[in-house]
Amino acid sequence: MTVIEVEDLRKNYGNTRAVDGVSFTVARGETFGVLGHNGAGKTTTVECLVGLRKPDSGTIRVLGENPARRRRALAQRTGVQLQQGELPDRLRVAEAMRLFAAFYDRPDDWRAVLERWGLGPIANKAFGDLSGGQQQRLKLATALVGGPELVVLDELTTGLDPVARRETWTLIGDLKAAGTTAVLVSHFMDEAEELCDRVAVFGNGRIIALGSPRELIGRTGTGSLEEAYFALSGEGR
Amino acid sequence: MKAFAHLSATELRLLARDPGSLFFMVAFPSMLLMLNGGSDRLEIHLPGYLAMILAIGGITALPATLATYRERKVLRRLATTPVSPFVLLTAQIVAQLSMALAGAAIVTGVGVIGFGVDPPAHPAWLAPAFVLSALMCYAIGFVIAAVVPRARTAELIGLLVMFPMIFLAGAAIPREGVPETMHRIGDYLPLTHAVTALRESWSDVPTLPPLLILSGIVVLGTAVAAALFRWE
Repeated sequence: MTVIEVEDLRKNYGNTRAVDGVSFTVARGETFGVLGHNGAGKTTTVECLVGLRKPDSGTIRVLGENPARRRRALAQRTGVQLQQGELPDRLRVAEAMRLFAAFYDRPDDWRAVLERWGLGPIANKAFGDLSGGQQQRLKLATALVGGPELVVLDELTTGLDPVARRETWTLIGDLKAAGTTAVLVSHFMDEAEELCDRVAVFGNGRIIALGSPRELIGRTGTGSLEEAYFALSGEGR
Repeated sequence: MKAFAHLSATELRLLARDPGSLFFMVAFPSMLLMLNGGSDRLEIHLPGYLAMILAIGGITALPATLATYRERKVLRRLATTPVSPFVLLTAQIVAQLSMALAGAAIVTGVGVIGFGVDPPAHPAWLAPAFVLSALMCYAIGFVIAAVVPRARTAELIGLLVMFPMIFLAGAAIPREGVPETMHRIGDYLPLTHAVTALRESWSDVPTLPPLLILSGIVVLGTAVAAALFRWE
């Protein structure tokens, strides 16, 4: 069963071709990585997936819906963590969780989500007083509290320390085990290699390579996804 | 509905945590009343303070909050949830109005109980006058949030619009004492009509024109804000 279907997606900003003919599908339960350097078209693609932007052309189906037309219906079933997207400084952790839970028809128990993400000890702290890593974890937890079928996570572990990163990977593994479909936008190749079933490598608004990390490593005759990425994108050397 | 109730309660809580809003909307009006406690015309001052509370919240705090939400991508984050951004705007209004009601109740209580001010003579007129005055201030606040891109600037512009207005419109001090030119400027300020409507319904003969003018400003301001507001 296909959760995401993107065909020949195009989006221009003025004369810039941000996304220039992108096609891919994501199956139910799959963890799909969107990789690429800044300006490669990752964020625009993801914004089109969640209905924040309207494509110039091409078709998108997410959970059977057109995101540009049915954004709110889709939002009931999708958890999104944006690269940018803060919370009010004076909003406390527990309040944020309770508030976001109230947005959804069938949310998870917000206290349980809060505990699972290690936010229990800081439940009464205000967002503005949290460390970068704590803010990131709270933002992730608010994306998951609605009990989504699909999660779209942009820059999942940016700003987290190595321990918190590993913990986050474990939690994403749990999501995966529970059958949740995930789209991860990432700069970190080790993360994509560890977590993703398949990855799409973006460059100049197109997908330049698509496959499982193992396939891409094999195709390039390299030793890791990071090396495969550099070989495929022709960068870094 | 559940989302709206939670969002309104949360926005009210955040507003009450803002020391500036808390002080100027809840404590400051009563302080002014006490400073003027010797006056035998407190029923002129008191309705003005209600207008002042609404102006401080609606013209200064409201646009600052909205511009901050836009700048820090809170609006964007919300756009990825099932909640419509309009629900957030409505929740802002509910929170502002609740806070203003609390401030109004306190300053009225201090005035009536502590200083023997006559209670409102026409409560059935005072209620719509209060609500329309509030909506008028929020419409101005939304226009500021729509035309001023950055949060810090929105706060500053809000202050620059609100401060002269509460004095020239007769909200913070009655207009009777101000010089002729100043008085004439006041005639053209939206808040003056709020003060007039509130005063008339408190201790005079209520008339329809100020309420109609307030309604007109609400419609006009909302239309301008809706046309110009950018979510990002």
